[in-house]
Amino acid sequence: MIAFFTSDQFQTILAALNSGFLKTLQLFCITLVGAIPLGLVISFGSMSRFPPLRWLVRLVVWVVRGTPLVLQIIALFYVPGIQRWFNWPSGETGRMMAVCVAFVINYACYFSEIFRGGIQGVPVGQREAGQVLGMTKGQIFRHVTLLQMIKRIVPPMSNEIITLVKDTSLARVIALQEVIWMGESFMKGNQGISGLVWPLFFTAVYYLVFSGVVTVLLGRLEKKLEFFR
Amino acid sequence: MKKLLALLLALAMVGSLAACSTSDTTAPADDTAGTADTGDTADTTDTADAADTGDAADDGAADAPAESDLAYIQDKGTLVVGITNFEPMDYHPEGSDTEWIGFDADMAKAFAEYLGVEVEFSEINWDYKFMELDARNIDCIWNGMTITDEVLSSASVSNPYCLNAQVLVVPADRAADFEGLTSLEGYNVAVESGSAGEDAAIALGAATIPVQAQSNTLLEVSAGTADAAVIDLLMAGAMIGEGTSYADLTYTLNLNEAQGLESEEYGVGFRQGSDLVDTFNTFWAEKVADGTVLETATTYGLQESVILD
Repeated sequence: MIAFFTSDQFQTILAALNSGFLKTLQLFCITLVGAIPLGLVISFGSMSRFPPLRWLVRLVVWVVRGTPLVLQIIALFYVPGIQRWFNWPSGETGRMMAVCVAFVINYACYFSEIFRGGIQGVPVGQREAGQVLGMTKGQIFRHVTLLQMIKRIVPPMSNEIITLVKDTSLARVIALQEVIWMGESFMKGNQGISGLVWPLFFTAVYYLVFSGVVTVLLGRLEKKLEFFR
Repeated sequence: MKKLLALLLALAMVGSLAACSTSDTTAPADDTAGTADTGDTADTTDTADAADTGDAADDGAADAPAESDLAYIQDKGTLVVGITNFEPMDYHPEGSDTEWIGFDADMAKAFAEYLGVEVEFSEINWDYKFMELDARNIDCIWNGMTITDEVLSSASVSNPYCLNAQVLVVPADRAADFEGLTSLEGYNVAVESGSAGEDAAIALGAATIPVQAQSNTLLEVSAGTADAAVIDLLMAGAMIGEGTSYADLTYTLNLNEAQGLESEEYGVGFRQGSDLVDTFNTFWAEKVADGTVLETATTYGLQESVILD
């Protein structure tokens, strides 16, 4: 057993899976960093008092949430090139960029609905209290609404974030070499190792550990925000 | 009326979305795609009219075949070769995850040198190989691609350079049942979706189970969810038997012989109407004549399969 874990073969496979998992992590982080602010902007749009903007934003959210992410990735990566609009940079860079754009847009739309729920769920009394205290609209939003919304959205956001950990595997449809792609590569043959199935199933360990870490971190965040109640 | 307005706005949004992405990546687009008609797309932004978007797209697509693919590649200075990790054609040598070797990889390097450009290998999803080509993410498909009618209708293909056959992979303990069969009726056979093996299995009357990759077909057999699988002979050699996870699988039947067909042939795929095909064929004839092709094929154990005439 120990011999297996110290064998060159295991080390090679582990190195390949690690390099794949780095891509998974990169995609995960970029998506979160991009989708949270964009989601907030979209949620403002969907609550706008100017009806055409509101309809438009809700339509976009419907389209993005109503079509499979995998389809959005394929469309975003291939259609610009086929239509000769522009080309993504060649090689892995372009694939990563296209996948990131697709993930940020997709997740921003999901997040926007969570944010909207969070903002609208803050009782009117809170806003009125702010007005009584003579706060400006901006102050009320930042110090009263947003702060309480953050507390409310942590559980649903945790759900989405855990889903995102696993959704990153969809990126392999356009040959982004994330961890599942690397795991599968040893079935067909990679670096002189072929016909191995276990690396594919072994990728589950990466996902489990990572989603475990994410769960703990989000749990701590939730605890920190408990003083609100 | 409200609905109409919403619809109109939706179209405007689609137009502006497309335009946004154009402006975001203007820099790389200028380098890599000479034809990207920024003028037209900019107009689309202003009018935000779905009909215009279509026009601009059509113009762009129509321009492509007229222009020389060779000039395009020499202009950008790299030949991007679309591959999958497929021993012995394109694969990583032991201990490296960046270098590509193999019969196809080595010849692709020689071809890039012949064109006076750098070579770049790009791993692709085999299902989308023609889309990759049309979208100019890659410049050729060079990965032991069997020439089929589907391939011929979606790409311009070089002269065949290597022979191949489809074989039936079965559990070793059931191999005797499949010996000498000329029909696969009544068997569930796993095949790679869209592969030459799928066509062969259907032609022999099998109930097919299409899966995403040749490697996944073996998983089906090994898990008992399929009776047999059809894959390339070259691949079967590398993927099953001693020392692999599929030590209990073996291949028995040559489906090309079972159908009384000729062997299959491998070719290199280029964009429809590309002038690179002629350049490639000239290059290949030269390399056959000076012995490079045979020498490279021998390195990877393909001396029996390579076509030398």
